[in-house]
Amino acid sequence: MKSLGELISLACRLFLAGLFLWAAHDKVWDPASFAAAVSRYDLIPMGLVNPASVLLAWLELVVGLCLLVGLATRAAALWSALLLVFFTGLMIYAGMTGAGFDCGCFPGEAGHPAGYQAALRDALMLLPALWLLVLPGRWLALTGRRRKHSDRLTLSV
Amino acid sequence: MSRGQSSYILLSCMVMLLVAAVAGLAFNLLTPQGVGWTPSHVSRPLWSAVDLAQAAQLQKDGALLVDARDPGDYKLARAAGAVNLYPEEFDLLWPLLGPTLRQAPAVVVYGRYFSRWPAAQVAQLLRGQGLTKVYVMLGELSDWQKAGLPVKTPRRKRP
Repeated sequence: MKSLGELISLACRLFLAGLFLWAAHDKVWDPASFAAAVSRYDLIPMGLVNPASVLLAWLELVVGLCLLVGLATRAAALWSALLLVFFTGLMIYAGMTGAGFDCGCFPGEAGHPAGYQAALRDALMLLPALWLLVLPGRWLALTGRRRKHSDRLTLSV
Repeated sequence: MSRGQSSYILLSCMVMLLVAAVAGLAFNLLTPQGVGWTPSHVSRPLWSAVDLAQAAQLQKDGALLVDARDPGDYKLARAAGAVNLYPEEFDLLWPLLGPTLRQAPAVVVYGRYFSRWPAAQVAQLLRGQGLTKVYVMLGELSDWQKAGLPVKTPRRKRP
């Protein structure tokens, strides 16, 4: 039973890691395009669009990397959940205003329109993040290994 | 979850945010594709800004008005005589509107201003196409309308 929990945690971690790394890749590499995508929502003042979009892109990358290697998994899961809640809200707002433009969430040309469908997708992606908050798992995780190692050291002392 | 665990998670979250901020800043400073604090059409403008009265005077003197808002907004209302040229479709629309804009003695661009400033972006692109007298109006269509300047709205169909 414990193995099943670990397996689900590992699957959730790798799924979210892949998702965030995929989403972050283009945003980090082409910050001007991502800033333009952020500005289309017309939610934050122009002076903050570039810094906010750069921070968001790199945060996605850092969270994705942490999830991939299993470093501070709970914190990474908490960031994932917070980001996904924010994205869900943003997509609902876009749906209410009838934006209709590309959400700027993932690479690809105009394949992901902002709106209610995207909100539902983001809300579903919350589930693995919530699972990891409760059960971060230790399989193939740096944090788990380090903790085991430190436990051993404590015992030997 | 113990208090210690919660503190560890919050601390890790802060470290992640800090790493993202430092890495993002470094990447933007060190790579050619990095972006500045504001877009180049705002930080290094090639256009001149004009107020509402100056824009109206320029139009009187023969300047062409360019509406840089999305086509949906343009269809609802626009300054009389304005043509629609917006950043997202600039490359597509320029060949159609370019000859008219080149003939005009000056071009005044207007649009909205909050997260982005499409008027400034279009003005910058027009300068890039070789137009010399390009101005951005510091004001929106509502200000234009409030000043009693002519606005064109679609005619209502008779029932």
